[in-house]
Amino acid sequence: MSEQELLARSDAPAADRAAFPLGPDGMDRYTRRDLRKEEIAIARQFHGGAMWPYAVAAFGCFAIWLSFFPLAIMGVLNLPLAFVLSCIFCVGGYVTSHEAMHSNIGRPGTNTRWLNEAVGAVSTIPIVFPFSMARLMHLEHHYHTNHPDKDPDYTDEAPNMWAAWYKTWYNRQPGVDGSIHHYKRILADMGTPEARRALVETMLLQLVFMGTLFTMAWNGYAIEAALIWWLPRHIGLSYIRFFLSWAPHHPREGKTGRYENTNVFKSRVGHILSMGMQYHVVHHLYPGIPNHRTKEAYYALKPILKVRGVDVSPL
Amino acid sequence: MNPSNIAYLNGLWEVNAMATVLKQVLAWMPFFFGIGFIAPLVAQMMVLWDIPAPFGMSRIAFGLIIGGSWGLVANIRGRWL
Repeated sequence: MSEQELLARSDAPAADRAAFPLGPDGMDRYTRRDLRKEEIAIARQFHGGAMWPYAVAAFGCFAIWLSFFPLAIMGVLNLPLAFVLSCIFCVGGYVTSHEAMHSNIGRPGTNTRWLNEAVGAVSTIPIVFPFSMARLMHLEHHYHTNHPDKDPDYTDEAPNMWAAWYKTWYNRQPGVDGSIHHYKRILADMGTPEARRALVETMLLQLVFMGTLFTMAWNGYAIEAALIWWLPRHIGLSYIRFFLSWAPHHPREGKTGRYENTNVFKSRVGHILSMGMQYHVVHHLYPGIPNHRTKEAYYALKPILKVRGVDVSPL
Repeated sequence: MNPSNIAYLNGLWEVNAMATVLKQVLAWMPFFFGIGFIAPLVAQMMVLWDIPAPFGMSRIAFGLIIGGSWGLVANIRGRWL
């Protein structure tokens, strides 16, 4: 038993007991408050910065991806290259939209708010996931991280890496009580105009997606449609679900506390290819820190996170 | 009831009717997907790899049989595989 735990025991002799009641973390509330202040002061240094690259990336990639359709029809597109790029755009689009979900590109009431909303709107079109739905669900995930009923991403939980990859696909099956059904239940519980709008927009975007695939396919461009949109969307969704949902939150069961709901993990594919998710703990503590600064913020916050009980050993 | 209320109710009915139609379309989406996308995809891949359809069928007829039945099974079972 550690010295702090000994001091925390209420049956210890009065002379040996801590002056203030200690929590299960071995800290009294004054120590916790001071640590929190220090944590906030460090985190504040990493908020903000240039966000225009996210906007350039979002619009640029969307425009290139959109150009693939007429180019494919004209027969001047390198399909294998377009397929690889489309997969990258599907995954990368979620990263740029993620910044918009947290209003990191433009806060409400600022001059760049329109840009924030526009970046969000175009970024998730390739994965057929409207921004209204993506934002609502992602914010619910932050409010209720790892809650079995209230966290929209809880259905991604799986016992190991291989099961997690399988589940990213399984949860998209039409009759499985996976992601979209869980989302619909949460939206119905919310019952707000925003929730209804998100549902309608999801249905409409799905119809546009299907309409585009069917039209291209019956006009002789089925393989092009499959390689530019259908397959990249599936690959992108699985990749996003694995790296943004399963890897940083596994195991989810019972881990709902501020310093325990997100893991620090060492990714086999590195920092860039895992989209900075190794340091996702920083994002959950401070969603206002942009994705490209979470690594730097993590190393600055690491000593405090360690004291708070976060397992910082992987990185 | 004043005219604006009637217009509001008519509008509400139209929205609900549209939502019902949309839900029905989406409920049968795996079947539609089988016919609308998998069928021509199968046919065009057979052309690309120069594979003839069996029993003297056209490639698109073969694609429709594969895509339609696969989509229907996916609709009933709730799984594509």
